[in-house]
Amino acid sequence: MGADVFEITVNFVKMVAIFLLMVQIVPLLVWVERRGSAYIQNRFGPNRVGPLGLTQLLADAVKFLTKEDFVPGRGYPFIYYAAPIVAMIPAALALNAIPLSSPVHVEAFEMLGQTWGPYVFLAQGYEFGIGVVFVLGVSSLAAYALLLAGYGSNNKYSMYGALRASAQTISYELAMGLSIVGVILLFNTFNFTEMIAQQAGPLVFSLFGHKVEALSFLPNWGIFYQPLGAIILFAAMFAEANRLPFDLPEAEGELVAGYHTEYSGFKFNMFFIGEYGHMFVASLLMVIFYFGGYTLPGVNPETVGKWFADFSPTKASLLTALVLHGVLMAKVVFFLWIFIWVRWTLPRFRYDQLMDLGWRTMLPWALANTILTAIFILIARHPWGS
Amino acid sequence: MLWEAIGFYSLAFFLIFFAYKTITAINPIHSALYLVLTMIGLAAVFYDLGAHFIAGVQLIVYAGAVMVLFVMVLMLFDLRAELRAFSRGLFSGMLKIISAGLLAGIFFAGSDSSIAILDTPAAAPSADVSRQLGILLYTKYLYAFEALGVLLLVVAVGVVAVSRIKGGTHARH
Repeated sequence: MGADVFEITVNFVKMVAIFLLMVQIVPLLVWVERRGSAYIQNRFGPNRVGPLGLTQLLADAVKFLTKEDFVPGRGYPFIYYAAPIVAMIPAALALNAIPLSSPVHVEAFEMLGQTWGPYVFLAQGYEFGIGVVFVLGVSSLAAYALLLAGYGSNNKYSMYGALRASAQTISYELAMGLSIVGVILLFNTFNFTEMIAQQAGPLVFSLFGHKVEALSFLPNWGIFYQPLGAIILFAAMFAEANRLPFDLPEAEGELVAGYHTEYSGFKFNMFFIGEYGHMFVASLLMVIFYFGGYTLPGVNPETVGKWFADFSPTKASLLTALVLHGVLMAKVVFFLWIFIWVRWTLPRFRYDQLMDLGWRTMLPWALANTILTAIFILIARHPWGS
Repeated sequence: MLWEAIGFYSLAFFLIFFAYKTITAINPIHSALYLVLTMIGLAAVFYDLGAHFIAGVQLIVYAGAVMVLFVMVLMLFDLRAELRAFSRGLFSGMLKIISAGLLAGIFFAGSDSSIAILDTPAAAPSADVSRQLGILLYTKYLYAFEALGVLLLVVAVGVVAVSRIKGGTHARH
């Protein structure tokens, strides 16, 4: 939590701010989704309310808040009400455990006639020491929201959606976890900040104690070490977030609207926030594991710190964190756009195709990736057990 | 120490409450959902006692995978016959007496070391803890670890064999 009132307050505000970041990115993404789909399908999309249709979001929010609050008569009211809240929790917890920028160092300063000692604020809600494992564990709880929604509504379509969702989540979680094992082996740590620090600098392979510098014009990103793992992780993330082409749980042609058939108004919106939160966490993980996190060639905490050398150390540290946060968010926005792009490009899988892809294609490839990475690291980094 | 004790005992209280509701809930799905809460609470207790990696694995494996399967299977099947079989009769009566005896034993053993459990050794960095865990698993406990792997493989093969006999989409014709 923190040593004194100031540190505790800042840490608390940080957590709330990161939660609000997740919630506030949803209306923007909905706008991008609608305008983007219109662009892809050669339509206009919402363009009447406000500039570029941006205030359509406000109108939507008012509609969500003033809709009739409907509860199915034969359902289980407690579970029915709990499901939308459960949908938001995993993404919010996972997002708070991921660093969004470099740590901010605050020098000792005077306030209210008292000296407040030097602080180091991480740009994340909390640091549990098991980074990746915590994020994986918390996001694996996301299936319960769909199960609770399907069960609490007491509706056949909702139930089918919930069953599909849980089977799908379990199938793809294996491939996702195994592809992340390759990353953990590569960076030899669970900590996100250490992973990003290892990706700063030029690409230098180390083979049998020799350095291969032929490709040193490229950055030292994980994608060049784990291309297969990156593809498997990204595909599994689509399934985890229930996005097309993996949105079988809410397939509108077969199941009305799947697990959220009985939900409307703000409760439906909370499922939406959960889904977009998962997309956000997935994009962040992709960027941190494979695309250098908040670093770029020539842009890392040390070099950016030198740009602001004229300012006082506290201000320089804060500005550095802001610049690096901008770099990270630019990359994340790119991956969010890929999520939307794929949704409006590919058709939905059939259910048996989904299961075959998960169990017979992605799981064996992810296993092979893990084993090959382990063998290669053993030979290349520690030749013959040194 | 006081705050740690309050945290630990409130966690323990919720854990026992959820475990109690797991065995008393009539509806099997409600019972399974309480078991999910118990598993999540167990992960929190592991974390509280300094076993960070085990807490994460508890979340991923038990709360995230095993219990999702439990709830899904319970939703798929109609369990009235099984409910009747386990609510009366000699067999379930024996089970109840045995589990009451086990609970009493755990209670007496636990009350003996009630606060000493909070005296965890000085916390090492958790990456090192998981490294030591891996080294122990692959050296000292290698045979137990491999035997567990073989057991799970046997179970998986058995399940496939049974489900192919009973029919289904991948049945032998």
